[in-house]
Amino acid sequence: MTEKSNHIPSESDLIQGCIDEDRQMQESLYNRFSSKMYGVCLRYAGNSEDANDILQEGFIKVFKNISKFRREGSFEGWVRRIFVNTAIEQFRKKVKLYNVTEVQENTIEDKELDALDLLATKDIINIVNELSPGYKAVFNLHVVEGYSHKEIADLLGITEGTSKSQLARAKGVLKKFIETRLNKTSK
Amino acid sequence: MENFKDKLYHYQAPPPEGAWNKISAGLDDQKVIKIPGLRSKSKFLFYGMTAAASLIIILISTFLFNRNKEIKPVAEVPVVKTDNLASQKEKDSIELNKQILETIIQTPPDKKLLASNFKKPKKYLTIAGPEGQPVKISTKAATLIVSADDEYPPKPVWNKKIEKWKQIMLSSTTSPTATNLVDILQLASSND
Repeated sequence: MTEKSNHIPSESDLIQGCIDEDRQMQESLYNRFSSKMYGVCLRYAGNSEDANDILQEGFIKVFKNISKFRREGSFEGWVRRIFVNTAIEQFRKKVKLYNVTEVQENTIEDKELDALDLLATKDIINIVNELSPGYKAVFNLHVVEGYSHKEIADLLGITEGTSKSQLARAKGVLKKFIETRLNKTSK
Repeated sequence: MENFKDKLYHYQAPPPEGAWNKISAGLDDQKVIKIPGLRSKSKFLFYGMTAAASLIIILISTFLFNRNKEIKPVAEVPVVKTDNLASQKEKDSIELNKQILETIIQTPPDKKLLASNFKKPKKYLTIAGPEGQPVKISTKAATLIVSADDEYPPKPVWNKKIEKWKQIMLSSTTSPTATNLVDILQLASSND
């Protein structure tokens, strides 16, 4: 290996290199974030094919818009946001969420989902991926990424009420999945 | 222990092989060849071209405006003389009178101003003179007389004529009709 390939560029150099459209720097950035971002893609996409598309589109967006990064907050956070938005765009192209009348759903406490903590990450991913695309999107955005219902409503083009009820239903379905999984393992 | 939210948030998976090659190819497709300094130059180019275009438009419009001024002969500009003003007004009035007269004459008998007041269209009307004497008059003539009384549009020449006819007609108990040639001649001779 050459000395050049062993050198790990700093985040700042990486960003500047990508702004200058240095292909080597772009590849370094890809290598640094690809696994994390592919994880994001898999959580939102319905299948690996869609996840690959999101990964490709997301990185192209990152490289095209990297000069807009103001170097104020976390760079990883900025990259992640681009991937989440790309995944949502993809989702919106394929799935139409209908606004439903806001009904008082039985709110399921996050505590009831704590059983998920006992499971391995891969199993949790499998359970979450069993959710319908709409439920999965809202669940990921709210529970995992920490988006507010207002932000979710804007992103998905739905009302806050719909976002809330989708989340409540998603949690309900997840609870059933967990119970079934735990029953199977106890037997 | 990491909770499920953190596990999901930090979930990583190895990207598929060849993903970078695809991204790299995608970046090549979207690459825009940049000419150094063109961005700053193009701004100046844009402003320069806009200024030049505006200048050309101003010059052309000024040239055309001046040219029109030069071509217009002074003789063509109407010189308003106070002597001619009265005759011009009279001429205009005659033209207007002709038009009104034409309209009245062309109007069908049943639509005439006075005749339209009657259920059955009448060819002749009997009107009362200033001293109460009955005067037989055609609807056409009656309409002409009535129209002469209208204040708008002003018809000084026409009004004068009508006034003259009124005087002639009122001096006789029977009014000549348009169909009676002898009466017309009689009217003409009395007018003279």
